[in-house]
Amino acid sequence: MKTLKIDPLDIVVTGVGGQGNVLASQVLGRALLTAGYEVTVGETYGLSQRGGSVTSQVRVSSGPVLGPMMPDHRATAIVSLEPLEALRLLGAYGHPGVVVLTNDRPLRPLGVLAGEQSYPETDELKATLEGLCGRLYWLPATAAALELGNHILANVVLLGALCGLDLLPIDASEVEAALGEMFPETKMAPNREALAKGLALVREV
Amino acid sequence: MADVSKLTPGQKVLLQGNEAIARGALEAGVSLAAAYPGNPSSEILQTLADSAHSAGIYVEWSTNEKVALESAAAASYAGLRGMASMKQNGVNVAQDFICNLTISGIKGGLVLVTCDDPSGVSSTNEQDARFIARVACLPLLEPATPAECLSMMKLAFELSEEIGNLVVLRGLARLSHTRAGVTPGPLPEAKPRPHWDPNERWFTIPVVPKHQVMLDKLAQAGKILTAAGVNYYDGPVRPELLVIASGSSRLYADEARRLVGANERVGILHMGATWPLDQELILEHLARAEKILFAEEVDPHLESGVKSIYAQQVRELGLKDFYGQETGHKPPIGELSPSRVAGALADILGLPWQETDPSYLEKAKAAQALVAPRQVGFCPGCPHRASYWSMKQVLAADGREGIVSGDIGCYTMGVLPTGYQRVNAVHCMGSGPGIASGLGKLRGQGLEQPVISVVGDSTFFHAALPALVNARWNNSDYVLVVLDNSATAMTGFQPHPGTGATAMGQAGTVVDVEQVCAGLGLPYAVVDPYDLEATQEALYDALQIGGGLRVLIFRRTCALVQGKQGGHPWRMSVDPELCRGEDCGCNRFCTRVFRCPGLVFDAATGKATVDEVVCVGCGVCAQICPAGAIQARPKEATA
Amino acid sequence: MVPPAASPDLQPTGLERLLAEVINPGLCVACGACLGLCPHLIFLDGQVAAPDACGLSSGRCYAFCPVAQRGGSGESQGPIGPVLGAWQGRATAKDLQGRVQYGGVVSELLALALEQSLVREAVVTAAGLRGSPQGVRVTERAGVLGAAGSVYAGGGALSRLNQALAEDSGHPLALVGLPCQVAALQAMKASPEHPQAAQRIHLVIGLFCTMNLPWRGLRGLLARHGVQAPIGRADFPPPPAGIFQVWSNGAYHELPLEDVRALSYPGCAGCPDLTSEGADLSVGACEGKPGWNTILARTNAGAGLLELAAEKGLLELRPADPASMEHLTQAASAKRKRAAAASEEHPNG
Repeated sequence: MKTLKIDPLDIVVTGVGGQGNVLASQVLGRALLTAGYEVTVGETYGLSQRGGSVTSQVRVSSGPVLGPMMPDHRATAIVSLEPLEALRLLGAYGHPGVVVLTNDRPLRPLGVLAGEQSYPETDELKATLEGLCGRLYWLPATAAALELGNHILANVVLLGALCGLDLLPIDASEVEAALGEMFPETKMAPNREALAKGLALVREV
Repeated sequence: MADVSKLTPGQKVLLQGNEAIARGALEAGVSLAAAYPGNPSSEILQTLADSAHSAGIYVEWSTNEKVALESAAAASYAGLRGMASMKQNGVNVAQDFICNLTISGIKGGLVLVTCDDPSGVSSTNEQDARFIARVACLPLLEPATPAECLSMMKLAFELSEEIGNLVVLRGLARLSHTRAGVTPGPLPEAKPRPHWDPNERWFTIPVVPKHQVMLDKLAQAGKILTAAGVNYYDGPVRPELLVIASGSSRLYADEARRLVGANERVGILHMGATWPLDQELILEHLARAEKILFAEEVDPHLESGVKSIYAQQVRELGLKDFYGQETGHKPPIGELSPSRVAGALADILGLPWQETDPSYLEKAKAAQALVAPRQVGFCPGCPHRASYWSMKQVLAADGREGIVSGDIGCYTMGVLPTGYQRVNAVHCMGSGPGIASGLGKLRGQGLEQPVISVVGDSTFFHAALPALVNARWNNSDYVLVVLDNSATAMTGFQPHPGTGATAMGQAGTVVDVEQVCAGLGLPYAVVDPYDLEATQEALYDALQIGGGLRVLIFRRTCALVQGKQGGHPWRMSVDPELCRGEDCGCNRFCTRVFRCPGLVFDAATGKATVDEVVCVGCGVCAQICPAGAIQARPKEATA
Repeated sequence: MVPPAASPDLQPTGLERLLAEVINPGLCVACGACLGLCPHLIFLDGQVAAPDACGLSSGRCYAFCPVAQRGGSGESQGPIGPVLGAWQGRATAKDLQGRVQYGGVVSELLALALEQSLVREAVVTAAGLRGSPQGVRVTERAGVLGAAGSVYAGGGALSRLNQALAEDSGHPLALVGLPCQVAALQAMKASPEHPQAAQRIHLVIGLFCTMNLPWRGLRGLLARHGVQAPIGRADFPPPPAGIFQVWSNGAYHELPLEDVRALSYPGCAGCPDLTSEGADLSVGACEGKPGWNTILARTNAGAGLLELAAEKGLLELRPADPASMEHLTQAASAKRKRAAAASEEHPNG
């Protein structure tokens, strides 16, 4: 078994039902397993498919098999497809050193749409996230995905961005290979572009 | 799901717990697998269905869990291996059969998989289905990882065949939906041909001697399980604290002792087989520790079983401290987690334990004030939103305080704001029409409120039919609304009798809701819930008629299925000139009251807008806009 | 007494209060003044309902409601209100006979106003789905005749007027309505939030109202007497008849008056207006003269239309005889007294 710089490496992937975070965590899990690590990906879904919060936990170790739930306030990184969900997850998994990568596009909860609850202003949300993490990557993942023609690619954009940081023991080509196991070659071109865009986004920061 | 029969033996792959259960069944040579969909168990049968052709097995979505297990038992009597998978609620549905089957016995290996759902993430309860093992005296296996899901399935079939009784494997929602490395083994070369020896008879009488046989089988199972080594100890020879754990809690306990730095002080007794309990092993480890903690989810199954074993040997063992549900170290509700077990360990061992810097925790907690809860709701374009909208309007107009008896499916969310909280009661599959049947008979006692029962198309066939026959027979006065979206949408669009498709993708026979109604002599009508006016007229009239059970079928395909079939026809937009915004005459009617996530109120302009990423174009909101500001144009014309 | 306008410091004057004071206590008389303004109030099968909270603290629904606003100004005149001329009359046209209430004066006047383009559209009450009365918009004589005849049940007709007023077109409108509807119309015309009402409503023909009934209750009573909806027309013959007459599907039925009276809207008990005092013309039965109407011209516009109808030979008119006017005034006084007594018992009833 290969050794890990951070062990266990705990990455939370979160977002709203339908944003594709389960797929993102699966791709990450496959790539890490192929690279020779012990991987456990815990997914939560059920009613959450219907507009609720959806969270997957990608747990990587070089040693014992880990359970599907990580300890509270010990996440290495939080990857969020929706900025408010990043803040929600910091309440459970955050600590002063956690790395947060988040899409900047809000998806307002139903209660907010109905005018019963409020959604924080962008500046306040961003500042709050910054105050609760070691590093914040506030990324226009949906905008980048829309440039590629489909908002659903935001998950792959964020995976690319994650590959551009110094956290994973694998690089973007290994993530691309895992994507290739799940998509036919005809659908790989936009996925490759999305990975590259994500990488470029964090290099700009 | 993937065809898991194609996996290469010996090559480690990332598999979901449910997929690993399916692979384990294939490796064990299962010939017939049946299930009724229910999260978190649904992917097991779906995976088997997707593997059925290449594996040469028969896989079926059955009308309900009892029928699924009965079908599987048939395979067993024909000398084959069979299995039924279900969520915890399904075990209740199948229970009557189980409690008789265990006395009559079985032939070919027969396995019941229950996927429990602690925290009720996708369930109406968080019942611990392990009770069935105690009630029906059945061997019970509890895997902790996807790899164990595979190996324990194989063991379960072997064990079942050896003792001649059903074996239960208990999964958990987390495990079902956990992906981890699994190394598949080989698939069997050939399967036996089914044949039921006409000299073999399977029944429960004489009950008393057969009851004894059943107990003997359980004792035999205990010996086999001990030999199989699924229960094992990991830790120092004489631990200060012994954790007795099963399922995912075994992993949580292991991680927790590392978190609190007590690897040298804490031992873990991993219980892979939790019924019958391995008395010898448990006594051996009780003798070596003074403090014992139980780590398991929902019921204190291990806790009460171990304490009962301890009570028999208390003179030899001396006094012990037990920690668990009784002492508050294991919650009686919800899931366990590494942190919860770590907290318990720290408390028992007097160790310092903090999750992170307390000032950070305080700050993170304060920041949660910014985070609005994310209510679940019907999808954009969901016909149920339109259906409940019409029910709400009609019941208000009717004015007699009508009651809606709900049932299980996406439309259970009728109890939530997304369904205008229009549903008054939800329990289990088919209980909606049953409750309505009783209510509709209270007319003689003076009940004047109209009664509606809503039931989905899949639920209609699962358990509603006996209640409908009851209502028809006894002339109960209510309106049954079949919310027919032509899918078992909540659990992943499985086919059902009304769709006519089968698990293995072949054409079955469509069992038509209308024909069933006609056969029962029930008056019925079909409306499209997207047409609000027609739906409301039909429902109002149905409520006024009175006299007996009558049926309205609200038929419109699930929005997600429509999306896959080419999508909805409309491109929606809001004319800001016409939108009345927050004025008297509207006050954000579409976003505040109708509450489709595709509609957003723009506070800056004071007007509603359509979120094009979210809206699917069903066109229903155009019917509720009082100003004609929400407009539907054909997609082709605007594309 | 109810304050006439919203004030942030006082109680809210919106839907919430309308529900609390009028709809939930069962005092709504289904005039329709609150309908057609917003999506929160709906009308189905003769009954007003509010499925959801509207969330505003003041609203036109409350401001226009004649039950909520009862006890305001406008009742200081005599018991039958302002009168420029009082007549007895009947229509001469053959096509009206058998279809109209009493003398056919309302139908003829309205048809004339449309023909002369004094108004381009009128809102009247007619039987709709399930026989339930509801407002209809008519633009010509045939439409007027289609709606002729009273069913004595609330139909929320003002909803159609509100609908017409919300449209872009600016053509003049007429209303045929009950005293409660005429009263609501005055509140609408006075409202700064509803400027179209004052500009576009050019003719109001009010009816005399002795009793108005909730449609669902009436339908239930009719069904118990074997009468199927829709009903063509209905009438209360003068005392001591003690019956309610119904013509339905070509058949004639009599119902005991006390059964019908027991159904009447509780909200009508506090109504002080027998003769639609705020109308341009008020029309009702002529006591003791079957087939004739009593007609009160209250405004110049009303008097002018009546004169034109007489000139054209559409109506046969005679000055009202003092005895029948005395009878009408007494009946109107009695209604005022009953209303005052009821108001003391229940401020909004």
